[in-house]
Amino acid sequence: MTWTCEQIEARLTDYLDELMPAEERREFEAHAQSCADCAPLLASVAGLLKNLHALEAIEPPPRLAYNILNQTLGPRAQTKGVRSTFGWLNNLLSMRFAYGVVSVAATLIILLTASGFSFRKPKLADLSPVNLYRQADSRAHLAYARSVKFVSDLRVVYEIQSRLSKDNNELPTEPESTMPRSTPDKDPGSTDSTKPGSPKQQNRANGLSRQVEVLAAQLPPVHNVWGAQWFGRRIR
Amino acid sequence: MEQDAQLVQQCLQGDGSAWEELVRRHTRRIFNICYRFTGNGTEAEDLSQEVFLRVYKTLGSYHSAHGGFATWMTSVTRNLLIDHYRRTKRDRVTDSLDDAMPVVENKESSARRPDQQALLHELSGQVQTALTKLSPELREAVILRDLQQLEYAEIRQVLDVPEGTVKSRINRGRIELARILHQMGVRPS
Repeated sequence: MTWTCEQIEARLTDYLDELMPAEERREFEAHAQSCADCAPLLASVAGLLKNLHALEAIEPPPRLAYNILNQTLGPRAQTKGVRSTFGWLNNLLSMRFAYGVVSVAATLIILLTASGFSFRKPKLADLSPVNLYRQADSRAHLAYARSVKFVSDLRVVYEIQSRLSKDNNELPTEPESTMPRSTPDKDPGSTDSTKPGSPKQQNRANGLSRQVEVLAAQLPPVHNVWGAQWFGRRIR
Repeated sequence: MEQDAQLVQQCLQGDGSAWEELVRRHTRRIFNICYRFTGNGTEAEDLSQEVFLRVYKTLGSYHSAHGGFATWMTSVTRNLLIDHYRRTKRDRVTDSLDDAMPVVENKESSARRPDQQALLHELSGQVQTALTKLSPELREAVILRDLQQLEYAEIRQVLDVPEGTVKSRINRGRIELARILHQMGVRPS
């Protein structure tokens, strides 16, 4: 009998669970192992079964059986004597309890510090609700006032900067013919022709020279030649 | 099985220790069925408790005609799981693991190397993820056959369907599960 792929797929479980007669099993294998579609299918399902059978049972939580018996038979017998008195101490050994204690302590320290309690010179009176409230209130107001001052300082600085940049941009410009020319070899602001000034110095010098040139253009003409030459040298 | 039947009789006569023994014997198995079906440890715990509560209340209705006590209990578990699935179908957005897998701790696992144990744990998680993607019909068939190692006759009793249907569901479930695991990148060992 020649098996088709559909038949192989339909009888895969019978083959893997060894429920097939020997003859059928041989015919099944003859097709499954030589078919390009059936061979990978057989391999993957066989591998899956191997994995499934290798899985171990999962252990239920210990309290499950206890809860079941509690619900069905009623509350279990309570421990008596020393164990019942000090049994709760076992819970203190858990990490969860330790984390909880540390978190609570950290929160209290932060709150007390924020409310003005001094750990160096602690006073019992500082822990009274009225004092705590007053301290917290004054600190809150102080923090608010400081933040307001900081913001207003920032605003002032910003306004000054914006006005300065505005003034620099509004400086009038004159046509070049009326402006005295500077020496091409020597840049204003530099004292030594071999060492150029820093960019900051250069900018400041350029700004100053521009302002001086504007002022010079506005001054009345000097008819005395010597005076003109002297004045020209001074403004370069 | 005979021991279970004896314990049931003792329970019906009011013997609390017999019930304790039954709980001790079947808790692990019922929890595993519930966990493998739901993929959620907390839900599995709650459902396991419900199963035992229901079994305790209806213990008088158990009869040997129902098959073994374990089979009857599995049937109760399966019905509860299906009811739970239908009830929570609307609330479920994706069939994915909601919490970390419970740790497998038993004698066989302690004898293994840590790397082998880690691989097995990873595989278990991958199989669980793939199982939750199967339809409930195929999922329960694969769980009962390949994880609980029940015989076809027992599964037929639990699911209350003909044996041909059982085989067909197991076959389709296995093929679908292998396809899902292949898509997840899990290669057969």
